Amino acid sequence: MKNWKKILLPLAASALMLSACSGGGGGTTAATNGSGGGDTEKKEITIWAWDPNFNIAALNLAKEKYAKDHPDVTINIVENAQADIVQKLNTGLNSGTTKGLPNVVLIEDYRAQNFLQSYPDAFRDMSDKIKAEDFADYKAGPTSFDGKQYGIPFDSGVTGFYVRTDYLEQAGYTVKDVTDIDWDQFIEIGKKVKAATGKAMLTQDPNDLGTLRVMLQSAGSWYLKEDGVTPNIAGNAAFKEALETYKAMFDADIVKLNSDWSQFVAAFNSGDVASVPTGNWITPSVKAEASQSGKWAVVPIPRLKDTSNSINASNSGGSSWYVMNVDGKDAAADFMAETFGSDAELYQDLLSKIGVLGTLKAASGGKAYEQPDEFFGDQKIYSDFAKWTTEVPKVNFGLHTYAIEDILSAEVQNYLNGSKDVDAVMNDTQTQAEAQLK
Amino acid sequence: MKTENTAAGPGKTSNTFQSSRSRRFKAGLVGWLFVAAAVILIAAFYFYPMIQALILSFQTGTGINMKFNGLGNYQRLFTDKMFLTAVANTFIYLLFQVPIMIILAMFFSVLLNDRKLKFKGFFRTAIFLPAITSLVAYSIVFKYLFAPDGLVNAMLLNIHLIDAPIQWISDPFWAKVTIIIAITWRWTGYNMIFYLSGLQNIDQSIYEAARIDGASAIRQFFSITIPLLKPIILFTSITSTIGTLQLFDEVINITKGGPGNATTTISQYIYNLSFEYSADFGYAATVSYSIVIMVIILSFLQFKVAGDRNA
Repeated sequence: MKNWKKILLPLAASALMLSACSGGGGGTTAATNGSGGGDTEKKEITIWAWDPNFNIAALNLAKEKYAKDHPDVTINIVENAQADIVQKLNTGLNSGTTKGLPNVVLIEDYRAQNFLQSYPDAFRDMSDKIKAEDFADYKAGPTSFDGKQYGIPFDSGVTGFYVRTDYLEQAGYTVKDVTDIDWDQFIEIGKKVKAATGKAMLTQDPNDLGTLRVMLQSAGSWYLKEDGVTPNIAGNAAFKEALETYKAMFDADIVKLNSDWSQFVAAFNSGDVASVPTGNWITPSVKAEASQSGKWAVVPIPRLKDTSNSINASNSGGSSWYVMNVDGKDAAADFMAETFGSDAELYQDLLSKIGVLGTLKAASGGKAYEQPDEFFGDQKIYSDFAKWTTEVPKVNFGLHTYAIEDILSAEVQNYLNGSKDVDAVMNDTQTQAEAQLK
Repeated sequence: MKTENTAAGPGKTSNTFQSSRSRRFKAGLVGWLFVAAAVILIAAFYFYPMIQALILSFQTGTGINMKFNGLGNYQRLFTDKMFLTAVANTFIYLLFQVPIMIILAMFFSVLLNDRKLKFKGFFRTAIFLPAITSLVAYSIVFKYLFAPDGLVNAMLLNIHLIDAPIQWISDPFWAKVTIIIAITWRWTGYNMIFYLSGLQNIDQSIYEAARIDGASAIRQFFSITIPLLKPIILFTSITSTIGTLQLFDEVINITKGGPGNATTTISQYIYNLSFEYSADFGYAATVSYSIVIMVIILSFLQFKVAGDRNA
């Protein structure tokens, strides 16, 4: 008997520890995933996304609408931070087991190719359910691979040039003077505005090269060549002009520095900057400062001056939905196709209730889009954004947007502080990128 | 048991021998079972992943498209500018932060070990308290303290030490300083505890004898305290070195590795390779193993420098 106790005790202890371990690991899966192992019959769909005020809210609207006609389908919407989704997808797909993964997941367009190419067969081909032509052309780049349409394109990252009309007036400009301009004119206007009002023209985080990306895409160019893997830095004329323009902005002393999102938002909410050239997702943040109502307007984003194919439309960010190749994939595909994939009416609600600007072509008009916005001096901003969305040049973001951007941001520091010239910066970035992206 | 044995007499020797052997075997088995729980868990959750990571470090590719490429990943380390920057940054933290922290920790512990000091408990708690704060929480607080219009700049401006706000976060030099200040604040109290316990183990009579011999307080510190604390100094410098080589939370939360790559650490680079860039887990494993190699080399050096085999 005594011996038995001696044996049982460590066994019990180890069992306890094991269960404690699995509790830590398994707990999250159980909480976040109701259907990974479930069968198709039950029709339970689990969806991962980030941002409760935007993506999650959009999902809830779609779920409500879908539930009316399909009471047999249970939809679990799980909120995860974007970084967590990227981590969980990578680790899950790498381990070779799809257990614990959702049926539908939201992926940022800049990262999409990375997942599609790194994990072939992990995502369901949606070509049979949706048509790429139904969506804004530029969305096809990130969401398709090898001739197959994987993603259901979601929000538009179309850019706008948000301007404070009152500051412009003080400097002697009207909204018309800033419409369809190039970045050189932007800088000239910025200098005048600063002289007249003492306010910086825009705010920038020197670590975030979003503005550079916007300039590049307006010319249909990107960090990588069309194949999505070869660095396209050295000898890229559009890139060179974008870099030079970017530095000229800093040299003209019209930039107020920020170092994170909250400082970025504070800069225009407090009235410290005269304009915000960025993606339309900034609209709610601009409108958050109600006291500035009527003082803003949105015009097309500036273009590059000397790059002939650069136009006054570009994109910043944006994401799309992906159905994963796990049990329940067909139910999930039906849900996505019927809602985000085709329902123009849903997009009206998405816009009027949440401010989501979709990329479904059929939904780019309608009441919600024609609604004038008091905050922007009764401008029909959504109808404008929808129009610009159709013009955004299509580029292949490829596999390495963020890898190149980290190399580039170090080099851009050297460029901005004058220790390297533009050609050296471009050549060095190219060499490093080539070495890294083998 | 013993009485039983003697009572049995010589006639049953072989039998007893066998039963005692089986008993010894049983006792051994139970012992092994005790150890087994820990060994199995360590093997499953430490050694198995370590071996898998080692195998992975010889592979290249993204996601599940992996193939072996021999020593290619290890060769790539030496030409990878980002990796070299990360290593250089980490060693700058190491060379400045670890000595500053060890000296500060020793200084505080000697002060707090003073028998005549009042409110000893309060001071000890106050200095140790940073060590129980969450890494992320304190990093975010530091980020705001050191913001261009944060508290630190406001204070320095008010006492006219500086004319313009220092760009603590966005200047390559000052960003490193900010990180060093942050980790020093967080970990000094933690190391101080080891010194305090070490000091309490030093016999007071040694100091008494020194005083009788006329040794000054400074002489006592250098000739008695430091030599007797040597094992602790070695321990804290090794653990701090390992900790600094694995530095991650502070950098991610305060500077995100910027400006440029001026504050990126090796751990952050591993994270970026795996999740920020293109899911290159093979190369990420190689970089992880480079940390292992560095830890081994540095610990070996520290043992050699300390020169005490029993340490």
